[in-house]
Amino acid sequence: MANPQTNQPAHVKHYFVSSEQQFDAAKMGMWLFLVTEILLFSGMFVAYTIYRSWHPETWMALSTALDWKLGGLNTLVLLASSFTVAMGINQIQRGNQKGLLINLILTFVFAGVFLVVKYFEYAAKIEHGLLPGAAFDPHGISHGFDYATYNVPYGPQFFSIYFVMTGIHGFHVLVGMGLFAWITWKAKNGAFSADYYTPVENCGLYWHLVDIIWIFLFPLLYLI
Amino acid sequence: MSHSAPGLNYLNHAKGFKSWALTLDHKRIGIMYMVAVSLAFLAGGILAILVRLELLGPGETIMGPDAYNQSFTLHAVLMIFAFIIPAIPAVMGNFVLPIQLGAKDVAFPRLNLASLYIYLIGAVIVMLALVNGRIDGGWTFYAPYSTSIGNGILFVTAGVFVMGFSSILTGLNFIVTVHKMRAPGLTWNRLPLFIWSIYATSIVQVLATPVIGITVLLLFLEKAFSIGIFDPALGGDPVLFQHFFWFYSHPAVYIMILPAFGVISDLMGTFSRHQVSGYKFVALSSVAIAFLGFLVWGHHMFVSGQSAVSSIVFSLITYLIGIPTGVKVINWVQTMYKGSVQLKSPMLYAIMFLFTFSIGGFTGIMLGVLAIDVHLHDTYFVVAHFHYVMMGGNVIAALGGLHYWWPKMFGKMYNEFLAKIAALLVFIGFNVTFFPQFILGTQGMPRRYYDYLPQYESLHELSTYGSWILAAGLFLIMFYLIASLINGKKAGLNPWGALTLEWTHTTTPPDHHNFHDTPVVTRGAYDFHLARHLFENGGEVSELDLGGDGAAPSHEATPVPQEPVA
Amino acid sequence: MSHDSGHHIIPVKMLYAVIGILVFLTVLTVALAQVELGVFEVPVALAIALTKAGFVVMIFMALKWDNRVNATILAVGGLFVVVFITFILLDTEYRGDLSNTTEGTIMDQQRADQAMEGREPERADIQFNRQ
Repeated sequence: MANPQTNQPAHVKHYFVSSEQQFDAAKMGMWLFLVTEILLFSGMFVAYTIYRSWHPETWMALSTALDWKLGGLNTLVLLASSFTVAMGINQIQRGNQKGLLINLILTFVFAGVFLVVKYFEYAAKIEHGLLPGAAFDPHGISHGFDYATYNVPYGPQFFSIYFVMTGIHGFHVLVGMGLFAWITWKAKNGAFSADYYTPVENCGLYWHLVDIIWIFLFPLLYLI
Repeated sequence: MSHSAPGLNYLNHAKGFKSWALTLDHKRIGIMYMVAVSLAFLAGGILAILVRLELLGPGETIMGPDAYNQSFTLHAVLMIFAFIIPAIPAVMGNFVLPIQLGAKDVAFPRLNLASLYIYLIGAVIVMLALVNGRIDGGWTFYAPYSTSIGNGILFVTAGVFVMGFSSILTGLNFIVTVHKMRAPGLTWNRLPLFIWSIYATSIVQVLATPVIGITVLLLFLEKAFSIGIFDPALGGDPVLFQHFFWFYSHPAVYIMILPAFGVISDLMGTFSRHQVSGYKFVALSSVAIAFLGFLVWGHHMFVSGQSAVSSIVFSLITYLIGIPTGVKVINWVQTMYKGSVQLKSPMLYAIMFLFTFSIGGFTGIMLGVLAIDVHLHDTYFVVAHFHYVMMGGNVIAALGGLHYWWPKMFGKMYNEFLAKIAALLVFIGFNVTFFPQFILGTQGMPRRYYDYLPQYESLHELSTYGSWILAAGLFLIMFYLIASLINGKKAGLNPWGALTLEWTHTTTPPDHHNFHDTPVVTRGAYDFHLARHLFENGGEVSELDLGGDGAAPSHEATPVPQEPVA
Repeated sequence: MSHDSGHHIIPVKMLYAVIGILVFLTVLTVALAQVELGVFEVPVALAIALTKAGFVVMIFMALKWDNRVNATILAVGGLFVVVFITFILLDTEYRGDLSNTTEGTIMDQQRADQAMEGREPERADIQFNRQ
């Protein structure tokens, strides 16, 4: 209602009828966005599937070249961060601003831990020359890693897909950190309440998706 | 929000550069899109004229082979990514969709403005390719050729990636708007068919565009870091690139044609003064086309070395697309047959569309036949088919929509006589340009060739002459539309006697907030029989009808104005 | 608009239960990877991953209590991922079978080619459908 008789809360934009409509619209928009993300990643999963079905022996052999301990650790870290997001939303739904703030900070920290672990993984790969495509050179600057023992062709493809998938996923983690820095700042200033927490909800949805992508990446790349 | 003073509308309620550059008003964003998209069309069109000029005779006419290859590539990239894809959804969708829904704006106005700027940035990045190296080999960027040419490909892929974002944001915005922002009483079965088709388009945009994102991203990485996913020299598979590319780019032709269907449906209903026949079938066939459109991409790859199994499956599903499309065409003809057709200039384009699009559609089915495709693949037959669907479909419909909504957009009428002349020129020019190309194709003229054998000369010449007629028609349109802004007659509230909300419930041009009060819808979008009933009882359109709450019986049907519009 | 559907408060106990299940499944998938499962290796790993994703979507993302439209959106997205993969596999798994479309794969043809090179007359029967 574009007239003064509306007594909607301040966060409701004039072109929405109610806070409810605005919340539903924002959430639906977010789900649509998540679907675009899923389809973006699906391209890489398709590449993975095709090359794996063509060269299964390469994929089985080289998955052992990745460190499942670090990958597993990162899985747990991301699961924990998903949990803290869900907890944060639970807290703000009950009107607990402090509870939200703590959980958001924890999420941000977990995301940071994930990237630090990822950095060490990448550093090891680069040191061993396990790089994508044409840069692949396991004998160039090898330190204790003998690619020859695996004796499989198409190694460069495996590492191309490894780096592209984890790289784009890592980029999403980085974006997520930015988003959480932003809403943590807003939460600190008391911007959210039980009546209005749409940005938290939507950033949370995004973050859960990043977690889900990793849930698939971890076994596909590191374990099998 | 306060009621606007009389005489104030979305164009003049605020002035200055900032009031446009930072506007969140869907109407202003639509107008800015129109300017940007028209510039892309002009640039792409000039390149087309140059390409046709080069082909006027065999051998070098006005440019060398390198310049020719770059010209047709840039023509395609500009026309497809910067013009056709945003043309109807971003211009008319933005302007009309929220008003037809009875909403004050789209669901996410900020995102809407962002999508405009993202589009502009993408277009600029694509243009940067021009000065950064050779871009030839067509708009499909097939690997490994595309990764072996200059660095220009980095800019084109980055630009396409960025413009894809713009497309996704627009689609996402419209889906949410249609779901959540419909006026009270506006049920799915009462939606104008334009909304249905934009909705179907948006689904395709949201589902398909991310895949072109990852495709061009991988191509970018292939070029920049030689990751070897598509390059066979590094163990990759070039056919995989084609799968990725067409998973987006085939649905993308439905991004281009579905909105055109919507415009045509609206025009058919309004100018036939009749309920669009088979409303539900026409509405749902848009959704059916959107979904089936995802399952046929392999028909671009019949001769690329994909497996015979998938070729057969893709060919079969390609035939199926003909069914919902045929449903539409038959219902449009039925609408005209049952109604009383008024041959105003927008309707001329709608009728023109029936001819050109049907030819384009049928030749598409022909190309879906495996055996015939082997013969016609990569010939001018494909070029002609493509242009009959894209230009004869999308552009003709866009022109129809532009003529239809122009009075609403700017409150001015254009010169109807010149409009009819221009429509005739466009129709003749278009067919003279592209029909000979069907014949050239069947005779074996390969597409994208700079030179040709003397036996093809006369048809190429004819095609080039046609392009001049077409250009004359298009420039004439540009001329009288701009002239109408300066000295056009003031347009009435509802010059066409249409029944959708943008004509019945807003001022001309619309108020900044579209409606004073949210309209309440009590009838379908094309219930002309209700209107006629009321009209016989002496009803007249009046200012009072604007912004009413809809509960009054007069909103059962807003009458059709009696006076003919010049 | 379905009111309150998007504002369901999930009990803290349930959140703890779900994170427990997720951690357990992670440990399980790592443990199973150390065991030789043969052809079941990929399906088992994917099944576990799908289960985990299901818990995150349903509980953490609260889709279980959410508007049905959002569930539909996700389902359509998933459907098109399946379409994407299936139709490409339809090509890549049968690539090169230009002369036969009903049976045999590229591997069969390679074997047939090898048999041809070896000039083993008794192996000629695998050259089915090749003209």
